[in-house]
Amino acid sequence: MKEEELYRYSDTVNELLARYGVKFGIYKNGIFKEQLFPFDMIPRKIGKDEFNYLEKGLKQRVMALNEFIKDIYGDKKIIRDKVVPEEFVYMGSGYLAQCEGVTPPNGIYTHISGIDLVQAKDGEWYILEDNLRIPSGASYPMIARDICRRSSPATFKNNSICDNRNYAKLLRKTMDYVNAGGHTVILSPGRYNAAYFEHSYLAEQTGAHLVTGNEIVVENDNLYFIDYSGRKERVGAVYRRISDEYLDPMNFNPESVIGIPHIYDIYRKGNVALINAPGNGVADDKGIYYFVPKMIKYYLDEEPILNNAPTYLPFYEKDMEYVLEHFDDLVLKDVAEAGGYGVVFGNSMTKDEKEKFIGMLKAEPRRFIAQEVIDFLDIDICDEGKVVPRKADLRAFVLMADEPMVWRSGLTRFSRNPDSFIVNSSQGGGFKDTWVLEE
Amino acid sequence: MAILSIEHSDRLFWLGRYCERVYTTIKEFAIRFDSMIELKDEDYNEYCIEQDIPNIYTSKEDFIKRYCFDETDTNSIFSNLIRAYDNAVVLREEIGSETLAYVQLAVYAMNKAKTSEAPLVYLQKVVDNIVAFWGMADDDIDSECVRSMLKLGKRVERIDLYARMKMEKAELQREMKRLSKRINRTGIRYSTMKLAHLNYIMEMDEIPTDLVVEEIESLFDVRVNEDVVGL
Repeated sequence: MKEEELYRYSDTVNELLARYGVKFGIYKNGIFKEQLFPFDMIPRKIGKDEFNYLEKGLKQRVMALNEFIKDIYGDKKIIRDKVVPEEFVYMGSGYLAQCEGVTPPNGIYTHISGIDLVQAKDGEWYILEDNLRIPSGASYPMIARDICRRSSPATFKNNSICDNRNYAKLLRKTMDYVNAGGHTVILSPGRYNAAYFEHSYLAEQTGAHLVTGNEIVVENDNLYFIDYSGRKERVGAVYRRISDEYLDPMNFNPESVIGIPHIYDIYRKGNVALINAPGNGVADDKGIYYFVPKMIKYYLDEEPILNNAPTYLPFYEKDMEYVLEHFDDLVLKDVAEAGGYGVVFGNSMTKDEKEKFIGMLKAEPRRFIAQEVIDFLDIDICDEGKVVPRKADLRAFVLMADEPMVWRSGLTRFSRNPDSFIVNSSQGGGFKDTWVLEE
Repeated sequence: MAILSIEHSDRLFWLGRYCERVYTTIKEFAIRFDSMIELKDEDYNEYCIEQDIPNIYTSKEDFIKRYCFDETDTNSIFSNLIRAYDNAVVLREEIGSETLAYVQLAVYAMNKAKTSEAPLVYLQKVVDNIVAFWGMADDDIDSECVRSMLKLGKRVERIDLYARMKMEKAELQREMKRLSKRINRTGIRYSTMKLAHLNYIMEMDEIPTDLVVEEIESLFDVRVNEDVVGL
């Protein structure tokens, strides 16, 4: 029996996804709406050997990125040795001066990394971007797999597929490894965050407590959860799903009302672990991406296993010349944007738009990167009963405890628009399960 | 050991209250709906008075449509269900996905009822899901404190509604007994004076239901130096 058996249960699966509220939030014209995340039954399949190769490359990459962050907020050897220009480090919005000299528990910064990859038509995998701040998305294939197994057990009996339902265990191990003593909590901005389903689902699955900023407090150099009877329970690890700037109004954005005053002070003293570490944005900036292969060589003395998409930095004169010459063949990305925003294809601009864009590029070359447009391998999706090809990427998750662990699955996102390369859920994309085969 | 914040304990309590409100008001509405099928008069006015809700409706049809399904009418059954959902969705960790799913399913059933020509059929599904919610909560939630907090909301709401609807004395007394048993399992602070007073008035020949509503609504208003129970 092939995986086609599963397609017959599409309605059942979608009904169950709705039952469990597998949604994401979106703001349209300032109004919050919850939408079901469109799920496609056709799984992406990755062979055992192919995934082993990806796993090796992902571990290597995340270890190098972790070393880079440690170095930047510590000795800065990579800057002194002129491997990475300091402009790219200090001018990026992800660099936080407050993190200078701070070492997190067990030296781990990149507890949970979401690495986005695409596969080209020739089968080669390319890294598109590294997400080291608050990568989201693991909960969707977790619950989808659970529901698919319930809907069609025969499919999973007759196909040798790695069980991906261990993500919660990997995450719990990651959190426990750095816990400074006490409870583990998941800190959410609240119900109206786009990824709230994920926050609550991961809390349930890991046994961590889901909290918002007004449920935990810093007192006497420790973090406490205050229960309804007034009892205080120490918290040793915070998997925070709020961004650095809002984490602590006393140390970052003073206007934040969702953070915890002084949490960063006690983190600095080693009394609580923050997952992921503040300041990681310095390493997942789109400009820094260009330098990751160089980091791998520099810190690990190894050749990179996984390739970046061919990238140019207009910051360098030679690259600027290339970008202007091949403008129509490239995709240009604003390094400050995320979620598929700030991405433009050279050949899609009008003459006026192009002129305006080139003006911006010349005025702020550090703000943009340019990449060759990779001819993505299309993967099949089922659209209103018909199987059609669509662009898709893969977000692989790497978790770091005593060693890096790659989740043998991932979030495959696809574009529902046949003419689009943008797969983000916020822009109408859907998701599918990722099967890593055991054979 | 389960730990529960003030915010989540409050949400559990209100989840219990709103689920009960939806359940009981649908049951009452179903009786009214049936009696209104043939009638042309404003039979619903009496219901509005009993429920202590303003009669803003222009006709029998308007009452059926808006009282049941208008999400913007804060007194409607649907808006109460939305409030139950709003509380449930932030309690996944405490009540679990399986229990939460029944509130979600009740919302889907309510949406179907809204567009149906025979709304009672789908409203019955809303009721079924609320009943399943309570069953799953009993079966699936490990923490007695969490279960008790939910049920405390249910008991408080039921007494409140039954008193407003001037239900039989025996019904009110039964609910009062259930509340008295439940309340100390939560560890929540409440006024022992008011609880004792409620027990006292439930034994009167004719229960002063307005007073019951007043006392039950202020059971958790604890004054300084008052004798209270709770952690």
